[in-house]
Amino acid sequence: MARDLSLLIPEMLLAVTVVLMLVSEMLRAPRLALGIGVIGLGLATALTLPLLETDTSVFGGTYRIDLLSAWAKLILLPGTALALLMARAEIAGKDREGSVYALLCLVTLGALMLSGGGDMMMLVLGVVLTGLGSFALVAWPRDDPATEAAMKYLVFGSVTGSVMIYGLSFWFGGTGSTLFSELGRLEGRTLIALAGLTAVLIGLGYKAALVPFQFWAPDAYDGAPMSVAAYLSVITKVAAIFAFAQILRDLPVSTGWPMVVALIAAMTMTFGYLAALVQSNVVRLLAYSSVAQAGYFMMGIVDLGPGSLALPSVIVFGAAYVAMNLGAFAVIMVAGRSLDDFRGFGRARPVIGVAMVVFLLSLTGIPPLFGFVGKVLLFGAAIEAGYLWLAVIGILNSVLALAVYLRIVVPMYQPREAGQDSAAPAPPLMIVLGATALVTLFMGLLAGVFPG
Amino acid sequence: MPLLSLSVFLPLLGGLLLLALPRKSARTAHGISIGTTGLTFLVTLAIWARGTLPGGFAQVEEIAWIPAIGAAYRLGIDGLSLPLILMTSLLFFLSSIYAARITDRPAVFVVLMLMLETASIGTFAALDALLFYVFFEVSLVGMYFMIVGWGYEERQRAGLMFFIYTLLGSLPLLLAIIGLFLATGSFDMRLWIDMPPLTGLAAMLALVAMLFTFAVKIPAFPVHTWLPAAHVQAPTVGSVILAGVMLKFGTYGLIRFALQMTPEAFAQAGQVVLAFGVFSAIYGAFAALAQSDLKKMIAYTSVNHMGYVVMAVAVAALTIDADLRAVALNGAALQMVSHGIVTGSLFFLVGMLQSRAHSREMAGFGGLLGQVPWLGWAFILSVFASLGLPGLAHFPAEFQIFLATLNAQPWAIAAILAIVITAGLYLRAIAAVFLGERNGKWADMPDLDRGEKLAIVPLLVLIVLIGVAPSWLLGMMDATMRALQF
Repeated sequence: MARDLSLLIPEMLLAVTVVLMLVSEMLRAPRLALGIGVIGLGLATALTLPLLETDTSVFGGTYRIDLLSAWAKLILLPGTALALLMARAEIAGKDREGSVYALLCLVTLGALMLSGGGDMMMLVLGVVLTGLGSFALVAWPRDDPATEAAMKYLVFGSVTGSVMIYGLSFWFGGTGSTLFSELGRLEGRTLIALAGLTAVLIGLGYKAALVPFQFWAPDAYDGAPMSVAAYLSVITKVAAIFAFAQILRDLPVSTGWPMVVALIAAMTMTFGYLAALVQSNVVRLLAYSSVAQAGYFMMGIVDLGPGSLALPSVIVFGAAYVAMNLGAFAVIMVAGRSLDDFRGFGRARPVIGVAMVVFLLSLTGIPPLFGFVGKVLLFGAAIEAGYLWLAVIGILNSVLALAVYLRIVVPMYQPREAGQDSAAPAPPLMIVLGATALVTLFMGLLAGVFPG
Repeated sequence: MPLLSLSVFLPLLGGLLLLALPRKSARTAHGISIGTTGLTFLVTLAIWARGTLPGGFAQVEEIAWIPAIGAAYRLGIDGLSLPLILMTSLLFFLSSIYAARITDRPAVFVVLMLMLETASIGTFAALDALLFYVFFEVSLVGMYFMIVGWGYEERQRAGLMFFIYTLLGSLPLLLAIIGLFLATGSFDMRLWIDMPPLTGLAAMLALVAMLFTFAVKIPAFPVHTWLPAAHVQAPTVGSVILAGVMLKFGTYGLIRFALQMTPEAFAQAGQVVLAFGVFSAIYGAFAALAQSDLKKMIAYTSVNHMGYVVMAVAVAALTIDADLRAVALNGAALQMVSHGIVTGSLFFLVGMLQSRAHSREMAGFGGLLGQVPWLGWAFILSVFASLGLPGLAHFPAEFQIFLATLNAQPWAIAAILAIVITAGLYLRAIAAVFLGERNGKWADMPDLDRGEKLAIVPLLVLIVLIGVAPSWLLGMMDATMRALQF
């Protein structure tokens, strides 16, 4: 018991942090809540470092302390801290400010449950915990678009969540256990394996915004505060992808699941970028782009099982994606939601303009940026798994991606119209922009620190 | 001293220095630019002085990068890459001299140009496939912003087309690189060259992917369509770098990757590649013949000249006679350098003409030779070199290419038709622009100023030098080409 708890120190620390943040919100001290949150997240990150080499599980195999869950903490906790700063820049001084901070951290706790879960119950717990907090966050502005977005998100979430629980019962029936590590018993029982897989794809696919469960994403991102949209597009998505990795690495490949995932990956990235190509609202454009990026993530998932590149590719691209997508959203917070707001933005604010170009090129996968290293590993994973066609589709979509992102870059360097002026970014936003830009620029060159 | 790394990163450091300066006047920007590229040129001369090894790579520098997947920072040179590196650093040096007249956002322009130099030298010096790809792609970004920021009327469309087209072109190479990596567990290009890891269908797929990438870059028919648009709209320095340096990425990759890493598959596909080379050469010549825009015409002759390189590499792959191979590959390597010098000079001169007349239409000029003798004679000399006149830079290269072709694949000698057409179209251009009736409209056109002469004269000297005495370059190439393993 003591051993189990000692391995859970980062998670427990985060839970305590959330409680303290709620208390300070009750005291009407949002800045205190923010401070506690940032410090708590930082401490939890630091305390994860000693666990990096550990590969074990706690509480009878229901929660895994392994490479994936350790890196999930190293990626998601700092990512959440950045999201807190973005939220501060957006909603400082508004009503119920502290509850946003507390909810963000609470959702991250759920995200950690997802990415470390070794058991169906833990999976459901993670899905519900991330879901509940997210609904409230989307509805936070209390206006019509936000309420509509949150309702859509909630209804979608409840239905997919229930379907997932129903489908998991097939796996439970087939293996007689709720542990993922027992999924190997489904060898040769293709029908049961695929029934459960379908349900998991629905439940987690909704969280990761995979096609065809992506409908909520553009509406929710557009209705929610921009910092919440940024948060949802990275933290819950990466957590859902990591949950896929935890589940599917134990499912026998012979049941044919990689083909199903490969098809979904191909559909997701193609649809995402095609839809992004026609958006004129930059938030919706990035929403569809993040749908497409989820498809790229799934290329790494295809290689799970025998492959050696699956976990490194998902982890590296996860880290890159968190940095570059948060950065891109932070720039939108400075520039504005419409494509027209970007006209001449690069000339008016050269440094932030260059940062945006870096984020967008990294999202495209141009070397030597961080996103490129992730994508190389993802393509490698797909080829290693024998899905050359998927890598080819991924590459064709990278070209589409460039067309999508250049739609933002091109107007940035056109002459600025008179009367347009964007306010100087708040200091917390500058920290976020600086940190994400540095990571996106240089982590690719230092990619040696990541597991191979 | 790690001279190679120095030559690769010196330009980038210069760019960063410029960015760090608080006040970036045009003078300081161009001063830093000329200083850095000049210093880089000196460093590459020192690399030349250190020399190459007859077989394998010399002056290798290696630092771990992502050890988990066997990717490292590896640089090195041989007789194929060293001449290209020298040509690159020279062209950038001269470009920065010529660019000193740019007053529109000079600091940004200089930073982009220096970034491009780092990418270009890095591409030729990389011995790690992932590193090669990094440099290869970074050059795209730099060139895109150069075209979009400082190009002519249609620059937005041309830049977009260039970026998307060439990104689509280069991604198949990434697949091939990943395929080679999965077969060996390392990105070390030397490993792949010493013992080509792929066989059978996998090798053929990798070859097709690489050929597509390099054909776009070269550019060869039918994936050359980005070139005229990009060239015509690019600023003069952009055209010089694009034609002089970046097209060589394609032909360099054709030898370094396609020929050396999948030799068996290349030999099987040799006839097809040869046919594409021949067709490209003839097509480029005919397309150039149809142009009335000087810059577009020169752009299409690049398709023609690069077609000869493709032919030479295919001939080398198809023959087993070691001497013939060396002749073909020497011709290919020399043709790359000659084309960089000659076409670089031609694009400079057309740019100088355009900056005076704000027009590139041949029909609108006439009798300019008396008006601007420096510009006229420099243009005529470069044009004679470009059409392959003996004693000038292209002749020794094309002679070797056709010699090897005639011996190994006689049918492909049909490409010699292209030389006749090129000669015709160039003579027509000279007649239209510099001879005949004087057009009074240009009566006050000034001749080349000091800066322009400084940029152009070294190229003219080299054109003659390579034409008369190519042995100092060929000696360097020949030692490597004879030992080339494939």
